Amino acid sequence: MLMLTAKKEWLLSLREGRLRWLVLMVLILLTTAFVASFNYHQTLTAQKAQVNEAERKRWINQGDKNPHSAAHYGVYVIKPNPALSVLDPGLSAYQGEIVRLEGHKQHESLFRRIEDAIPIQRFGELTPGFIIQMLLPLLIILCGFHLVAGERESGTLKQLLANGVSPTKLVWAKILSLSVFASLLLLPLFVYVIFVADANSLGRSLTFILGYTIYTLIWALLTVVVSIYSANSRRALLTLLIFWVGSCLIIPKLVIAQAAYQSPMLSAQAFQSRLESEVYTPERLKAIEQFKQDTLAKHQVSSTADLPFSWSGAQLQFGEEYGDKAREYLYAQRDKNFSSQGEFYQIGSLLSPFIALQTLSMASASSDHVHHQLFISVVEKHRRLIQKTLNNDLKDNGKSVSGYVANKTLWDQIPVFSYNYPPLITIIAAYKWALISFLLWGLTLITVTLVATKRLTKEGQL
Amino acid sequence: MNRLICLTDWTILRRERVVILLMAITLCLSCLALYNGHNWANVQQNLIEDAHTQQKQSIIISDNEIAERQQNKSPINWWDDRFDLRGQAFYLMVNYAAKPPLPSAAIAVGQSDILPYYFHMLVSPKQDFIHQYETVHPLLLLLGKFDLAFLIIYLVPLLIIGVSFNALASEKQSGQLRLLMIQGISPRRLLINQLCLRISLIIGPLLIITNAGLVWLSPQISLLILISLSLLIIAYTLFWLMLCATIISAGKTGAYNASMLVILWLVLIVVTPALLNTVINVTTPAPSRVQYLDQLRIKTDEINNAKNETLAAFFEDHPELAKKPEDKGTDTSKQISDNITVLKKSYALAKIAKINALEQAMKSNDDEFNEVLVLQQQSTSWLKFLSPATLMQQALINLSGNNTARHQNFIDQVLVHHEKLRDFYQNRIASAHQQEKFTPCEGCNAKITMTDFNAIPYFEYQAPTHHKPWLTIVLFFILAIILFMKANYRLRSMNNAASFVGA
Repeated sequence: MLMLTAKKEWLLSLREGRLRWLVLMVLILLTTAFVASFNYHQTLTAQKAQVNEAERKRWINQGDKNPHSAAHYGVYVIKPNPALSVLDPGLSAYQGEIVRLEGHKQHESLFRRIEDAIPIQRFGELTPGFIIQMLLPLLIILCGFHLVAGERESGTLKQLLANGVSPTKLVWAKILSLSVFASLLLLPLFVYVIFVADANSLGRSLTFILGYTIYTLIWALLTVVVSIYSANSRRALLTLLIFWVGSCLIIPKLVIAQAAYQSPMLSAQAFQSRLESEVYTPERLKAIEQFKQDTLAKHQVSSTADLPFSWSGAQLQFGEEYGDKAREYLYAQRDKNFSSQGEFYQIGSLLSPFIALQTLSMASASSDHVHHQLFISVVEKHRRLIQKTLNNDLKDNGKSVSGYVANKTLWDQIPVFSYNYPPLITIIAAYKWALISFLLWGLTLITVTLVATKRLTKEGQL
Repeated sequence: MNRLICLTDWTILRRERVVILLMAITLCLSCLALYNGHNWANVQQNLIEDAHTQQKQSIIISDNEIAERQQNKSPINWWDDRFDLRGQAFYLMVNYAAKPPLPSAAIAVGQSDILPYYFHMLVSPKQDFIHQYETVHPLLLLLGKFDLAFLIIYLVPLLIIGVSFNALASEKQSGQLRLLMIQGISPRRLLINQLCLRISLIIGPLLIITNAGLVWLSPQISLLILISLSLLIIAYTLFWLMLCATIISAGKTGAYNASMLVILWLVLIVVTPALLNTVINVTTPAPSRVQYLDQLRIKTDEINNAKNETLAAFFEDHPELAKKPEDKGTDTSKQISDNITVLKKSYALAKIAKINALEQAMKSNDDEFNEVLVLQQQSTSWLKFLSPATLMQQALINLSGNNTARHQNFIDQVLVHHEKLRDFYQNRIASAHQQEKFTPCEGCNAKITMTDFNAIPYFEYQAPTHHKPWLTIVLFFILAIILFMKANYRLRSMNNAASFVGA
């Protein structure tokens, strides 16, 4: 039955010139997008590796200087490019990829690619992910809107049912043939995913493949269900197109706008002002003074000059830790707002399967904001480690030598920054709404399909 | 006869409740889009006003606190003291350069949510501030705002397709067309009347809401902008209407018309612009910011390592800074040379010299980005004709003032202001050094060297002239006429009874 239906639908599709062209167009676009994205990824990865190496050499060979000067000389770290971002670069262009690590300051990530782009970029980057997320549903709709409604219009549906064809088998055969047909377009992507998969990224690869497969199935189910319930193919097409426009174009924009409204962010300027006003306070000066008194008392001396270590190193580290605490609170508040916005957007996937797939696809490719925040938090830990190492060195060695300068030995103690994205399973909770939505969409549509099949059975009995 | 056709179609549409539904959808979407655009312009305006208020308040506070500061004899770090020129210049100055939104900003958000529209200015390398950006969730940027431009470019064509794909086709399918033709109503007349009536249900509310809304929300908006926008909307919708007419005139079923029109919409509005974007990025790729960073580090190191050469070059460029003040005695070459030696020890002047040197050293790298941007814009200026969406996007963004050209102009003004600020401080710092105001303790305690806060250069944005979209409007009208001629030819053929019966 399945093979027979698939063959019939395939022949019908071939007869439809529009669909041939549409499939060809999607294939050409997919190939173009993949080649362009792959080339860009390769070039950028090579550049990042080269600049990372150069930056390390610069740090090591910065010359002899006071450790605090080295803290301000700083280091730049670069976010790595995960392999799956070839298929879905997600938010990469909208988030800075380089972070400066310096004493006393937590810098924002730098150089968002989108800033160097022209307005046409806002139509969307042609990437394999964009094509599948946006265009594949449309292809499924155009291939499938008439599957049942068209048979009804032409009278063949009644004939089929009268000949004893099981409505259940007929409907599922149509759904499966539509899904299999659409999945063929996914195959090249899946081949790449399997090709680049390793033990660490297995969960990501699996999520990517499953996500896109379920998305295809959801649209196939939806198309056939609407086709069953529609009096004619015109109405089926219109209903499905309205759903597509709502799901892929309108709802995502409205949901993220609402998310931003519900969890408003401080402007960059206001955030910076708060940082300065909450870090550089009279309380900070008092805390430093208190620390000084405590240190003097602990070592039973009356002046910092009598301490067995360099006071400036100890004071710098105290100031650093004091500032870290204040910054931690403000950044945590900001991150919370970001997370709330991201979560609200995900909840929107209950209205739009596009949002669910987009979220899971970016998560698999490590190109979403959750992964960016994870990267930033690791970068900040590294910054603190650098400051602590430098300040402690100054504290331990700065007393004995006037105008103390450290050398390569100290710079070598700072570990090379390297970042690997964590296994997806460890942060899967951040994507619970997208997963729940997929499950609900799937279950709801399967239920509705079963109900629709009963309706067809009744239709055959009339 | 035309009235009768329209009335009949009106009755049918009303019976199907399409009229109310369509008008309601268009009204709601127009209001929402306008509100979003206006709201975003308001956010920008409020932030800019806040920044200006902060700047003014800072001057007032400084003026009020100067007497108290003069009484204070306890040591203060110069980087914590607003009355020290060095503290002001490098850390504490409250000075903003901002680009306020135009009254027409609500039309299209354009690039304004991505590109910075205000800068906190300090005496620092431009590389330190030019890449500042606003804190928003990147998803907001990826998805963009639901503004009038989005509504007009993406959704209006879909609404037009939605109301028109079934025109003529339903009459043909039900057999009414033959009856109507017997009564002397040609398919052309029927289709044109149906389409005109149906599109007026969309374009009417859209034009009313857009114009009334813009006048209400931004009373300063010029009449010429409103006329340009209205003509642009009419021309664009006319283009889509005629495209629908051309497809419908093939005489196929409603489902065929709908799927064909949706494929065309997809190709023209979604695929072609994304493809053009890829073509532009592949043919004229933006230089790598990762490599830019590498260059920035290399050149910063070079400048730091060659401190003496950097300072010498700085004084060569600014000999006036090395001059001894006239009241200090006669100018002799030895005095000037001594003075240069003193100035070379100045941390603040050395810092400014390094800033100058770095900006000069990075000029070729910065120019590379600007050159590619210009090339990309040039490519867009002729590639945009391949899609009505890109054509319309550029016209709407230009009207709103949120385009790249206006931003570039703003950046140029910011850089001029940046130089003015640097000149202002470097002259005063040099003068303070010559008068030995920072001695004896050069690097530690603050000195009152900054008292005339009102003299700090103030940024005043000069808006460039608007681009009017006349060419785009004319082009859409021409395309609409060509499509109309094609549809007309087909409909005439349809009118031929023999071909109709044959069909």
